[in-house]
Amino acid sequence: MLSQAMFPWILLTAAYLFSLGALGVLIRRNPLVVFMSIELMLNAVNLALVGYSSFLSSEEGQVFAFMVIVVAAAEVVVGLGLLTRVFSIGRELDVDDLDELKR
Amino acid sequence: MNALMAVLLILTAISGLGVVFSRQAIYSALSLVLTVGLLAVVFLVLNAQFLFVVQLIVYAGAVVVLFIFIIALLDPAAEERPRLTDPRLLLGVLAIAGICTAVYIAASDGITYDTACTTQSASCMHAYAVGGAADWTDFTERPAADPYNTFGFPENAVNRAGNVQTVANQLFHTYVLPFEITSLLLLVAAIGAVYLTRRTHTGVRRLPPAGEMVMDGPGEDD
Repeated sequence: MLSQAMFPWILLTAAYLFSLGALGVLIRRNPLVVFMSIELMLNAVNLALVGYSSFLSSEEGQVFAFMVIVVAAAEVVVGLGLLTRVFSIGRELDVDDLDELKR
Repeated sequence: MNALMAVLLILTAISGLGVVFSRQAIYSALSLVLTVGLLAVVFLVLNAQFLFVVQLIVYAGAVVVLFIFIIALLDPAAEERPRLTDPRLLLGVLAIAGICTAVYIAASDGITYDTACTTQSASCMHAYAVGGAADWTDFTERPAADPYNTFGFPENAVNRAGNVQTVANQLFHTYVLPFEITSLLLLVAAIGAVYLTRRTHTGVRRLPPAGEMVMDGPGEDD
């Protein structure tokens, strides 16, 4: 059975995955990989929520994780739609190149 | 179970590295499948059976497949891997190490809960009510040697109520309004995706290169 001493390690893994995803968002240039890093961050938050839910014997963390999964799915649909649009107008897939909103 | 959890967490950490540091986007996507699948098993070990299934269906079944479709469609070029001596990468790794250390210290020492349920507090009773315990006597039936050995629900309580039933109880009673709002969110996302990927009558519109970009309304054809 899972002992209580594992709980800090679960939180540690969640923090690690979240900051790794943030690093991926910052250093990668391919917007597809940036989206995958965002997915990694959302999954890290889910891990923390489910860990707390199990640790505190409450189902509410799992409900929140479910909501996060729904939001992640919606975000991927819109983001990949945007990327195909950007690609179809003949632009290169590079986050450094897509800076119209800064102009 | 502890060893299983440790192995799962280590494998998750390694496969997460693959998502961020793969040169090809397809390898990132495959590492993401691995990470998501391992996290699903972590959820299973943490007694979240419903989320285990949802994670596998939504992430491995839908999100990553969508990613792989788009990668196959757009065929993005491989990136250069950042050099190990890049100061920005070093800064990022330092930040990760700092965040992880802070979280581990806070989680080990800084947070105190009444997890032993030494008092008949409201939160402990709530946990057992959700878990299906009838009254406080169920709560005291636990083996005395390692009173919190199941990390959350005692096994008999979980088996009595069921994870799906308890999650559904929360989802359709306490959080029914947020649940309904997610349907609106999904609808808006679907409409947005259709709007973004639609074709105009004259075919795909070509925008000028970034330097001479003119902001047109979305409905006008060139």
